[in-house]
Amino acid sequence: MINAYASRIWNVLKSFQLTIVLLALLMCLVLFCTLAQVEMGTQGAVNAYMRSFIVWNQPLLLRLPFPGGALVGLLLTINLIAKTIDIKLSWQKSGMWLVHAGLVVLFAGEFIAGMMQVDTNLTIEVGQTVNFVQSYKQMELAVIDVTDPTWDEVYSVPDTLLAKGGAVAIPGTPITLNVKKFYPNAELANLAPGAPPSLANAGVGAGVSIVEKPVVSADNEMNQTSAFVEPVAGGRSYGTWLVSVALGAPQSFTHEGRTYTLAMRLRRQYLPYAFTLKQFRHDVYPGTDIPKNFSSLVQVVNPSRNESREVLIYMNQPLRYEGKTFYQASFGKNDTLSVLSVVENPGWLLPYVSCVLVSIGLLVHFAIVLRRSLKRRQDKKEG
Amino acid sequence: MAFVQKYLAWGAGVLALLVALIVALPGGKARGFDVSGFGTLPILEGGRVKPLDSLARNSLLAIHSRQGFRHDGRMVGPDEWILDVLFRPQVADQQPIFVIDDPEVISLIGAKQTKNRNYFSFADLSSHLDEVQKQAASAQPISAQKRTRFQSAIVNLFDRVYLYYKLRNTLQLAGSPGLGWELQSLGTPEAALRHQDLTQLAHFRMLPPTTAANPDAWQSVGQALTAANAGGSVHPALVPLAKLNAAYVANDAASFNAALAEMNGVVTTLKPDALGHASNELIFNRAQPFFVGLSIYFVAFLALCISWIYKPEILRPTAYALLFSGAIVHTIGLAARIILQGRPPVTNLYSSAVFVGWGAVILGLIVERMYRKGFGTAVAAAAGFASLIVAQNLGTEGDTMEMMRAVLDSNFWLATHVVTITIGYAGTFLAGSIAIAYALKKHIAPKVDVETDKALADMAYGIICFALFFSFVGTVLGGIWADQSWGRFWGWDPKENGALLIVLWNAIILHARMAGYVRERGTMVMAIFGNIITALSWFGVNMLGVGLHSYGFMDKAFVALTTFCISQAVLMAICYAPARFWVDPSQRKA
Repeated sequence: MINAYASRIWNVLKSFQLTIVLLALLMCLVLFCTLAQVEMGTQGAVNAYMRSFIVWNQPLLLRLPFPGGALVGLLLTINLIAKTIDIKLSWQKSGMWLVHAGLVVLFAGEFIAGMMQVDTNLTIEVGQTVNFVQSYKQMELAVIDVTDPTWDEVYSVPDTLLAKGGAVAIPGTPITLNVKKFYPNAELANLAPGAPPSLANAGVGAGVSIVEKPVVSADNEMNQTSAFVEPVAGGRSYGTWLVSVALGAPQSFTHEGRTYTLAMRLRRQYLPYAFTLKQFRHDVYPGTDIPKNFSSLVQVVNPSRNESREVLIYMNQPLRYEGKTFYQASFGKNDTLSVLSVVENPGWLLPYVSCVLVSIGLLVHFAIVLRRSLKRRQDKKEG
Repeated sequence: MAFVQKYLAWGAGVLALLVALIVALPGGKARGFDVSGFGTLPILEGGRVKPLDSLARNSLLAIHSRQGFRHDGRMVGPDEWILDVLFRPQVADQQPIFVIDDPEVISLIGAKQTKNRNYFSFADLSSHLDEVQKQAASAQPISAQKRTRFQSAIVNLFDRVYLYYKLRNTLQLAGSPGLGWELQSLGTPEAALRHQDLTQLAHFRMLPPTTAANPDAWQSVGQALTAANAGGSVHPALVPLAKLNAAYVANDAASFNAALAEMNGVVTTLKPDALGHASNELIFNRAQPFFVGLSIYFVAFLALCISWIYKPEILRPTAYALLFSGAIVHTIGLAARIILQGRPPVTNLYSSAVFVGWGAVILGLIVERMYRKGFGTAVAAAAGFASLIVAQNLGTEGDTMEMMRAVLDSNFWLATHVVTITIGYAGTFLAGSIAIAYALKKHIAPKVDVETDKALADMAYGIICFALFFSFVGTVLGGIWADQSWGRFWGWDPKENGALLIVLWNAIILHARMAGYVRERGTMVMAIFGNIITALSWFGVNMLGVGLHSYGFMDKAFVALTTFCISQAVLMAICYAPARFWVDPSQRKA
């Protein structure tokens, strides 16, 4: 009985019907994802359609739940493996076997990318030295001990933790932050006379009114994440502060002789090495504004490796360093600011492996087919 | 008899090649002026050095949507037109070259829509320029996708008028006595202001760099006059240019041609390669290989269609020979572009259309060699014709050999990824075209011909395999390029998704066929749907306007694309409908 079910499931898993249905679903998803990018931005659409198991509220097909890219990909991989196992190991099929094995590797690569790839950027001005990369969208509240003028001690609270509210103890310091209110996106304005007072009673926030806004995800938009927090240390409150990405100047308070600044900013990841931008070039074709080349000449200084060298990062020529890939993405401030996109993907080699497997597989398959047809022709002649 | 037929057929092919050659030969002098010699002069515009002729053609295409026009009972070509614009604006202003289709724009400039196409001269428009500029200025901040029909049309008209305005103020300020007078009045109080205007309005730079140290430093007339006005030496090319100007205005062809020789001498001294390169490009421009090619394909297609009802033994080989000649012209054109540009064949949407057509024709020729049913010829001629028509329409947007934006500036990847994926497109289209031929034949042909049907199905199947291979390899290569330049293999960018859709669809067809879910007709219906997928990922993506890959937006093409998709859907239905659906019941009994 169980065997019968198992064999029926196995038959479904290895069936061509499943392959075709899944490929068709994938086509629909790719189409949805492409169209959705206009509204949601590339990253938003990819997360909603490709990196989810179920798309609950897709707008294009009656808002019915639709299997997400992760689910379709997983099933397709199972189908592919089942099929690959099921193909009888014969030399006749070896080419097809290699092709499908290569596809499994390709899917695995995309799965790893989907789960583990981290996209950040490194924004650097000419002459500046930067030792961190920052997120495109995610925020953090940085509590920075600036007492020592030569060294900043940074403690940061990610936005996801702030969103939960309540008390957040800052490890390594005597401070606990009471998160009174958190806004994933908000609009700040000067407090109009006669308006209800701000929740903040310390810093610039006391004179600012705040309105919550819906979260945005398009590529060129940024959430103005804001929060009201009350630092408490040694049983003493230091007032309620408004912290926001929209506020420029840092705000600080002093506890037991140590000065701490509070800043809401894009989430940073500090690196054990630093980049100094020595030169940025933006060449155009003569007599036009058409860009011909962008390049950043950076000095990479890595004390742990006792390394200090110059690297030129330009179009189609990224720097791969310590598991991260830095590529020239954008520029600003009259060509004195360079933006390097940073990608960290532990599975970056898999597509190359897959490519080799599939290519060899196809060549083998064509060779076999060619041989077969030549033989048939020969037989015909002789027969 | 067979011998005669063969030679008759190949004779037709050779005749077509001769016609192509005649088109490429230089035309006569206009009113005694060596206008094509003037068109050969190299200029710097759009970041590259090209003959003035290329600029004239592209500008006339943009303004007039054709490369020549009829005025005062004779044809005016691009080189003669640009001469008038540059040196005799009072003449050029009277030529009705601005084509305006939008009725609201026509009424805005106080005219009535008289014919299907309405042509206006700059003089007609000049009294309404302020209004055009005002309306365009209010429409320009709106993004191209969101403009109304009127707004798009007015912005388009403004751009064309502005282009014309800049052209007539590039070598001399329109209405001034000319370049010779400018050279004489150097140092006078108003001269500096005029030179400033000339510098600002200059659309191209005609004076070759004078120092070898700075090989890209071409100068506009305004820049050179400014330098001379400030006490520098007069640029050596200014003097013959002024002579050309004076001779043309004075209608003195002999002095004009003499000044042209002098100008050529100066250019050759300053920039030895430029003149030769420009004259090669001029020959390419004049030969119009893709226009000639599409004409030959059209004749080949007609010949083949006729062959099904009349004298197949002569007309079918003739059609094949014509297709072959068309392919030769097409190939030469493609090769010339590669050499002139120093780039792989596909660099922009225009060249991808040219290349897709070429791939389809070559594949069709091979298929015809293998099956000899005439269908390969028919489908290849139709596909070549259609894709070159698409290319001709894409080519009206400006210089088709434009410079590559920084991220695309990689000959290696352009040659591998872009070419492979474009061959994939070509294959998918060819399979779809064969399927259409199959569908039409099923309903039109009087008797059931199982053998031909099977041959067509085999062709389509083989080409789908071919297309899957190339589109898959091309997509993976694209991923590798993306990984090399952006650090990620796959970003679900719209263009990548489009390529993936083609791969997936071809894979579905093959799996469905292998598992036996579809047979001959089902495969063909699916192959036609492949046309829709390919067209969407080829052009639809550029209309979305998002992502790293989109470098150009097209608005008019949207209607064309929708029409194409609907027509393919109808053809799918026709293909799926049983043949007897079309047969008259009374005949069926008999």
